[in-house]
Formats: sequence, structure tokens, C-alpha cells
Amino acid sequence: MFRRTTQTILFLCILPIARAQDAPVRKLPTDVILVKGAVPSASDSATPLPEGGTVVRDVYRNDYFGLSYPLPSGWFEKYKGPPPSDSGAYSLTLLRPGPDYKGASRGTVLITAQDMFFGPMSGHSAKETIERTKERLQADYRVEHEPSQVTVANHIFTRFDYNSPVAQLHWYVLATEVRCHTIRFVFTSPDPALLESLIKEMDAMKLASNVDTAPVCVPDYAQGANVTYKVDPVFGDQKYNAIPVRLIIGKMGEVEHVHVISAFPAQARSITDALLQWRFKPYVRDGQPVAVETGMLFGAVTRPKPYVTASSKPSSN
Amino acid sequence: MTRRVIPLALFLSLFVLQGFAQVDPGVRGGAAGAGGPLSSVAANNPVTILNFFNDGKARFQEIDSVSGTVAGEDGFGLGPRYNSRSCVACHAQPAVGGSAPATNPQVADATADGATNTVPSFITSTGPVREARFPFFFDPFGNPDPNRPNGGVEDLYTIVGRVDTPSGCNTSVIVQPRFADAVNTGNIIFRIPTPTFGSGLMENIDDATLLTNFNNQQNNNVGVHGTFNHNGNDGTISRFGWKAQNKSLEIFAGEAYNVEMGVSNELFTQERPLPGEDTVNGLAAACRVNPTPEDHTNFNTTAIGTLSDTVQFAMFMRLLAQPTPSTTVPGGSTSIANGRSLFSSIGCALCHTASLTTSPSRFTPSLGSATANLFSDLEIHHMGTGLNDNVSQGGAGGDQFRTAPLWGLGQRIFFLHDGRTKNLITAIVAHDSSGSEAQTVENNYDLLNSTQKQDLLNFLRSL
Repeated sequence: MFRRTTQTILFLCILPIARAQDAPVRKLPTDVILVKGAVPSASDSATPLPEGGTVVRDVYRNDYFGLSYPLPSGWFEKYKGPPPSDSGAYSLTLLRPGPDYKGASRGTVLITAQDMFFGPMSGHSAKETIERTKERLQADYRVEHEPSQVTVANHIFTRFDYNSPVAQLHWYVLATEVRCHTIRFVFTSPDPALLESLIKEMDAMKLASNVDTAPVCVPDYAQGANVTYKVDPVFGDQKYNAIPVRLIIGKMGEVEHVHVISAFPAQARSITDALLQWRFKPYVRDGQPVAVETGMLFGAVTRPKPYVTASSKPSSN
Repeated sequence: MTRRVIPLALFLSLFVLQGFAQVDPGVRGGAAGAGGPLSSVAANNPVTILNFFNDGKARFQEIDSVSGTVAGEDGFGLGPRYNSRSCVACHAQPAVGGSAPATNPQVADATADGATNTVPSFITSTGPVREARFPFFFDPFGNPDPNRPNGGVEDLYTIVGRVDTPSGCNTSVIVQPRFADAVNTGNIIFRIPTPTFGSGLMENIDDATLLTNFNNQQNNNVGVHGTFNHNGNDGTISRFGWKAQNKSLEIFAGEAYNVEMGVSNELFTQERPLPGEDTVNGLAAACRVNPTPEDHTNFNTTAIGTLSDTVQFAMFMRLLAQPTPSTTVPGGSTSIANGRSLFSSIGCALCHTASLTTSPSRFTPSLGSATANLFSDLEIHHMGTGLNDNVSQGGAGGDQFRTAPLWGLGQRIFFLHDGRTKNLITAIVAHDSSGSEAQTVENNYDLLNSTQKQDLLNFLRSL
């Protein structure tokens, strides 16, 4: 009996080794992040997401923002940006001269977005965030042009230029608001002429108007008496991360879309499953029920008090 | 004549090219800018604290054997699995408490005192001290299974064959991990030792200070947005280790003693099996040689001798002064000062925060309300596919790493979490990959001219 058991165990031990010798070695893929930590997710794959932009045929397209930005000639997106942060910040794309670029000067174009529902400057306009940038500019930098309003591609932007004398680099920043987010175009180069030409080329860009088809942005709508039915998400182990969530609530108060901006997979599943069952009072504007986009924060909130200026006021629709 | 002219022309052209290209100045020579105690500790304030520092330093250098009876190896409790045999083996450059030394002690560790280990292919005498981890468990066919994350440390060696190992602890009951398979399938990542200079200052930075710094980083124009790792028990910000996974120096010391040297202690009370081994039968009884915990409070002695090794390792690290940078080497003071400004201007200092202030300390005056020039925000950041190691620790995912503190960098030999390079430029360039928060800042570095880059490199090697 003992002998047979030993033989069986030996056989079972040897079997995988024998099979392993026959099977081809499967190498782990490189350049792939398989263990991701906190990442974005959504309740459906059809609704555009802020992080969903791509470069196709030399144009950066982002359906969520209605953004279509033709790349400067010879430039490309070498790498994808990081996942959105737990304060709702996105690096949408970083563009740089490619191998075929013929220009004499080099530089970069970084396009970022900040969800206005979250982060230390939640509720602040693009103009206010740019003014904040200027206020907090370190001694390493010099202001070239004070923040001022400009019109680019039929959109009002706040533009702010500064440089670093020691690095001999210039930063020209243009910021605007689109659909509950502030969007920034950050142009960097040692050559101001290149930056001016890049900004001029922005006129070929298309950027959605806020009023067209997008839901109305309403901060803090998913709370208090606006909630008519709720199911609490069930969390597993506490990870102490902030979990910002963007919700689209339909005209009848049903949840149409859940975008978990940053969460571990189990957290995201639990929150999405719960929120899809929530019901809200319909949001009424001009006597008509309209769809609403709002934000909710789950998980740990261990952030300092938001930045406040005398001119700060909550964002309106 | 022509023959002589061509090499000369080649030499001159290379010289000219070299003249315009920036180079890593290499490890800064001269005296070690680190390794001594904090100034108030050196002044023995409070009285006897210097004894604690010196005792901790001595224990930090002690070589462990299994039984504590091998001549010259007074430490007790090595193994049954281990990566090296003393703290200083890994933390040696440029002084006791530092990072990986030029000559890797792990080669000799394999066969020390009669041990019969095979040195894995990734351990070389001139390479970095390395800890190995398998990101995923293997399936029955010997292939890594991405559905089964592992990530635990796979100790390099066992105590089999050592003069102080009982004969029952042999290769029929304990073997080295499958390193060759792991290398063949790409299912292996490495970590090198983090230097511990100034770590008492890091330990004493309040969460509020870190959060204020975090808040000040927001709204930046380079796409950097980190977060913190947290201690699972009390929820406060953790800060030690490559992914900021450890809360305190005592936990850091206790875990390393257990994981790297196989010594059970009051914080990690059992002998440690390998990942996977811990869910089946655990370690063979024949290899669990000593009563546990092997390191503990000593009740039969007095004063410093009462303390455990773990407590004294932590105390030594806590009382180490922060590295002293050079103001002139390499490149001269003007170049270094210029490099420092460039470091800040192009955005490196956003994550590599130059300094943070500590809280008042009850240990010793130098730890309290002090300026820690650590060049880190102690946040974890996405570093992209180029640096990703597919190991999750606490709240940090596969590509998230703590901003490596840069103090003392000038005298480090190996860079990045896995020690893949000795070249500072390679380390900088590695910040740019898909998914990395540092893409824009690395591109700002690329936009500098060669002289500016050289100044930046000189500054970093002055630290």
C-alpha cells in the first residue's frame, strides 16, 4: 500500500516535468504591465472616456472632449501616458518630434486634463488654475507673459508664458474648460518661435462646445435628497486610496454610466455594481429634465484642504 | 605615413565628439560622505545614545551562522533560506549602512562554511547584490501563470551542507528556487539594497508634511501626479523600501532579518518558507533548526545587551546622519550649482523634492525639526513599462515605485530598483517609457544642451 502511494506521488511529480519538457517555453511578455494597481474602469465600453484618446493618422482624437488635434508635421506620440491619478488628473498625450521631423528646433506638446470634481483645486476654473500656477512659480522661472485670455479654435483659453533662464526653456501654457474638466496644452521648447508656430497651428484643432450634447456638469449632485435609492458598495480590505468616480445620470434619474477613475479592480467592481442600482431625482434645467455628469469620491480621503482664493467660487453650469 | 594619420584623425574626431557629449562622472571618489552618526548622537546627546549607535553598527556588521558557533560568525539563526549573511554585506557602499558594494558578497555566500548552493546566473562578482522575486507562480507545465501573482522574495540559498547544519536538512527536503526556469521564461525581477543613511530623518517626517508637499505638486505642467502607499494596520503613510511598503525602520529591519538572512525575530516570528511553499507544507522540520524567535529581547543580560538585534539594527539606521554632498566635485562649484538649478527647472525636483522638514523628536535633537535633504517626495509614481516589475506591494502596482531618495547618489555604484545600470545617464533615460509619469520631465532633460546636461550630471554625482 505504502509502495503504491509512493509510486503514485512520484508519478504525479514527474508528470508535470515531462510535460514541461514537451511544451514550448512561454515567456512573459515584456513592456506590459500585468499587475496594475489602481487603474480606471467603466461600466460600459461604448461611452467615451477622458483617457480614451488616441493618435490616428497624425491626429490626436478624444471623443469624450470632442477634441481633434492635428499633430505638428513630423511629430508623434512615442508612448502612452500614465493612468489617471486618484485626484482625477490625466496626461492625455505627450507629443514630440519623430525620426522624420525636419525642423531645426525641438520641443514637446503635453495635453493634460484635470477633473473639476476632484483634486485640491476642484471647482476652480481654468483661469484660476493658471493663476495658481503663476502664483506658485518657483524662483527658477521668469514670467514672459501674464495670464491673459486668448481665442484659439473658437474657444476661450487662458494663456500663460514663462521660462527658465538657466535651462533656456520656454513654457507656453493654454488652458480651457471642457465638460467638467480643465484642459491644458503645455508647449515646451528652447525656441519661442517654434512655440508660437505650434500655438498658431492649434487653430486647426476642433474642440467640443460645452452646451451641445454633453450632460450638464453638476458638482456634488449624487448626495442628499437628490438620491432616491442607493445600494452601498461592499469593500474588501482597506487600501487607503482615494477612489474618484464620475457618473452620468440620465434624464429620468437612472445611472447611465459609471467611470471609476482610479481604483483596484475589486473596488471598482463593487462600486460599479452598487452605483448602477442608484436612482436620483431628475435634474431639471429650463423646465426640462436633462442628463447630469457628476463626481463621487469613495475610499480614503486624506488630502489637505482645497486651495482657496478670494476670487474662488464654485463652478456653475 | 597614411597609416599613422588615420588613427590620429580618428582619435581627434573621437576627442571632439567626446568634448561635446555629456558623460556620467562616475562614482565620486574621496572620503565617504556618509556613514557617521547624527551630530547630536556624536555629541552623545542624550547621554549613552552614542553607545546605542556603536552597538547597532557592530551588530549590523556581524556575520550570522546557523548555530552562532562558527568562528568569526557570532550572529545566530541564519537560514534555512537566505540571500546573504550580514546586513553590511548588502549595505556597504560607500560606508556601513549604504548600498550594494563593488564586489558582490553573494558569490562567496553560496558556498560559505560548506554550503552547497549553485550561484544563479544573475549573480556575478562585479554585479549588484540582488534579491530575486518571481512576479507569477508557475503553472504545472513550468510556465509563468499571469493569473497567479506571486511577487514574494525567492531567497537565493539554503543552509544545506554547511558545517553547522544538521544532516537531516539536505536537498531531499529543501532546494533552491527554480532560477533557471524563471530566467528562461522572463518570470524574475530583481531588487537591490536601498541605502539607509538619513533614514531616521525620513522616518520622522510627519504625514501632514508629505501631504502638504503633495498638494503643492498638483496643478503642475509636466503630468506628474503621485500618490502614497499606506501601512495596512494604521493607515498612515509608509515610506521605506522600493515601493514605500514599509512603515518604520524597525519593521524594515525585522523583515529584512527574516527575509534576507532567514532570522526569525519578534516582528516576524517564524522561519520563512518560499512563496508557494508557505501554502503547502511549509519548511521541513529538519531545517527549522533553532527555537524561535531566533533574535529576541535578551532577559539574562543588562543595558544594551538586553535589546534584540532587530531593535539595534533599526536604531543604528535611525541615528545615521544624512549624506554630505560635495560642493566642488565633480565639475566644480559653478557646474554643480547650475546643475541644481536645472534639476529644479526641468521638473525633476517635483518628485525628487529637495528637502522636507522633520517633526520634533524624542530620540535626539538632530532628528527633530531638521531639514532632510532627501530628494524624494516619498510618494509612489507610475514609472511605466520600462521600469515595471509586475510586483504589487500594498497600494503600489507593478509599475509604481517610491521616488528614490537621491541623497548620497554620488557615491552609489548601481542604479534603479534592479541595479540594471551603473550609468547615471541610462538611469535618467529609463524614466521615459509608456505609462511613465516622468515622460515629460525626461523630455525636458533631452531638450537641454550638452553643457547643461553635464552640469545636471555633476550635480547628481555631487550628492
